[in-house]
Amino acid sequence: MRKAADAVLALFAGLCALIAVGILAGLVAVIAHRGAPALSWSFFTEQIRLVGASGGIFWNLVGTIILLATAFLACTPVAIALALVEHVWLRGTRGRRLLRTALYTLNGVPTIVLGLFGFLVFVQWCGWGKSWLAGGLVLALGMLPTVTISLLERLKSIPSKYLEAAASLGLNRTQIVWSVLLPQAWGSVITGSLLGLARSAGETAPIMFTATIFAGATLPHGIKDSPVLSLPYHIFILAQDSFDPAVGSKLWGAALVLLGLVFLLSLIALPSRLRLHEEADV
Amino acid sequence: MTRAFSWFFSLIAAATAALMVALFAWQSLPVWRHEGWHYLSGTKWFFRQHQFGAWPMIYGSAVVSLIALLLAAPLGFGAALCTAEYLPRRLRLVVKILIELLAGVPSVVYGLLGILLLRGWVYDLFARFDPLSGDTLLTAGLLLAVMILPTIVTLSDDALRAIPSAQRRAARSLGLTRAETIFSICIPQAARGFGSALLLAFGRALGETIAVFLVVGRQDNNVPASWFSLRPLLEAGQTITSKLGGSETNIAYGDPLHWAAMAGLAIILLLITGAVTILGSAFARRSDA
Amino acid sequence: MSDCCPSPVAAAVAPILEARDVSVHAGAKALLRGVSFAVRPHQIFGIIGPSGAGKSTLLRALNRLTDMIPGFRVKGEVRFRGASIHASHVDVNALRASIGMLFQQPVIFPASIAENVLFGAKRLRKIARSEREEVIESALREAALWDETKDRLRTPATSLSVGQQQRLCLARALAAQPEIILMDEPTSALDPKSTQAIEELIVRLKERHTIVIVTHNVAQARRITDWIACLCIRDDAGEIVESACCDAVLDHPQCREVIEYLAHTP
Repeated sequence: MRKAADAVLALFAGLCALIAVGILAGLVAVIAHRGAPALSWSFFTEQIRLVGASGGIFWNLVGTIILLATAFLACTPVAIALALVEHVWLRGTRGRRLLRTALYTLNGVPTIVLGLFGFLVFVQWCGWGKSWLAGGLVLALGMLPTVTISLLERLKSIPSKYLEAAASLGLNRTQIVWSVLLPQAWGSVITGSLLGLARSAGETAPIMFTATIFAGATLPHGIKDSPVLSLPYHIFILAQDSFDPAVGSKLWGAALVLLGLVFLLSLIALPSRLRLHEEADV
Repeated sequence: MTRAFSWFFSLIAAATAALMVALFAWQSLPVWRHEGWHYLSGTKWFFRQHQFGAWPMIYGSAVVSLIALLLAAPLGFGAALCTAEYLPRRLRLVVKILIELLAGVPSVVYGLLGILLLRGWVYDLFARFDPLSGDTLLTAGLLLAVMILPTIVTLSDDALRAIPSAQRRAARSLGLTRAETIFSICIPQAARGFGSALLLAFGRALGETIAVFLVVGRQDNNVPASWFSLRPLLEAGQTITSKLGGSETNIAYGDPLHWAAMAGLAIILLLITGAVTILGSAFARRSDA
Repeated sequence: MSDCCPSPVAAAVAPILEARDVSVHAGAKALLRGVSFAVRPHQIFGIIGPSGAGKSTLLRALNRLTDMIPGFRVKGEVRFRGASIHASHVDVNALRASIGMLFQQPVIFPASIAENVLFGAKRLRKIARSEREEVIESALREAALWDETKDRLRTPATSLSVGQQQRLCLARALAAQPEIILMDEPTSALDPKSTQAIEELIVRLKERHTIVIVTHNVAQARRITDWIACLCIRDDAGEIVESACCDAVLDHPQCREVIEYLAHTP
């Protein structure tokens, strides 16, 4: 009886894990299978023609990269500032807890709400129209909690003996920040950013009202009315209203490229994340 | 200098976050004046007639997310038990990495798979109930279940791993089986973490836009005739997010009242997800205290 | 066997627990090599030796807790009541129930004192609700904890001091009715007073149980053990270099490693 229960639970747990992993495998397999035929050199270097039925995704890739770079540049300094404020400058637990709660809450804000916020503030009030900058800033807001939290965890894990040693040399707090804390924490800024970027790369909701259009944009020439193309929005539009087989193949190709990009970004971040996790585990 | 800059940027971030809530609340004022509480309970949304009832969308969001939770919870807990309690270290890492990758798959890709595969399956599987199409609340719920699965697995696994292995060793040295150890040691101590995982996953499901948008059918004003029938799940519906993600948002901006109704949807969504997230993280924190 | 001191247990009695040429490997590295010894009923069997010699590993091999450590392989044979514990038909869980264990740090489950005592017992055998009080009381009495806790059995066990927690762990093991109790440096986390309480307890337990105790503390070994095996490192793996009755090992060590070890240990 006890043995049977033991076996049943093991079987159930194993089965669940198998299903979860199986879903991922199936998903990747389907996309790879359908998307691979569309991939070719010209798919990456040409622009879209015939409403997605022909040509490639060059400007979509460029647009996505512009958005990601903007988000990265806008997000990093703020994340570092927030983490330093939490870890170094804020004394007293109440302020810290408030800041952490705010971060977790911001992390839970639906991306469509972020998109509408950007639409209202940047597109309408600032009068930028659809602009790469608006999209980048909204994406930055979306990835801010991820980067900050990753940095905070790293800062917390720096042994206090380093801080004491530095302080006993007579360094003040600012000097300790630059000489002890940040040098050890850069890695986590990158890791956190990569994770945030991986998520941002696939986001459609934040940029659909703020930054991207379906066709007809190349490099932006300013801030006002300079939309870009992007991969996720491209897939989003094509998925809705196209049953043309030629479009279908290009569509899966674009999905495969997007999936590859996202996986690449998260896999680069993986080793250092695992190290942190497993160290904490032991 | 460093200090001043840190504070400066942090204040910007804090102000932005505060601004967001205040902004949507303020922008939605006209619709509250126009509709009153009926805005929440009204079942009709005809913007040309200036009639705004958000109930069908609230219903849609809740139903879709609950279906997702119902399906993903047992599967997620089972998988977390497997990774945390059964798998050897190395294999555990592999499975965790795969599940984290699953979490990273963009929602538009899920939506694409939903459109091209899932809605066909749903249509065929439930053909005898005669659905109008494969775009149903159930389809959206199924898709969401897959999307929130990694959240549940990862957070539950964390909760289980936070229990010192000395506890397991002690239980096993008393002669308890693995299953008994799990039920008497691990699950009770991880219960809060499990609850937090469910809440946070629920928050994600409520806020998910693109994938739901693509498969839910986006049919306005759809509320079930009977609460006790499962048939309404096989009809197209509308969630708060699919409404906000649609082209109506662009049209709405020209009309203050219409825009207020959209902003109202955003504030409802913000409040619900905010409450769920805060509750979820508070739950998690107390569990390790 | 030396004749320097009379063994309290006749060598003629059949051993209750016996290791025959036991080796433990972690991956490619050998932790223990060729360990053999025999523990007789109602004996307090001490295992001493420098840290890193594999004392805890050896202890865990005796109730197959090594199964739970990934990468560990146990070779050779451990016999409990004359039967190999590695035989395929052996119920590991039943085995662990009859070979209890006490860890270095007390491991308390987050529940009340009473629930902690019943934790294993109530799952291992049917205990009627009416009997529970009795089981709790006798286990706590046996662990010399009854007087301190009888008025607060329902309070969280974490409220106890570390010394009391260790005795609670002992009560928990006793409630499962083991024949042998393995102890892994049970007093190393405790203050002198609690240590003394536990030591007295161990000597009393001998009447009904058999005890295998790993200790770091030579004075403790001298005070309580009947027989001592000294585990030292030879060629990067632990081996038993000397095994004899207590005084023989401590007063007339034969082997260079043991002499060195004793010289450097208070």
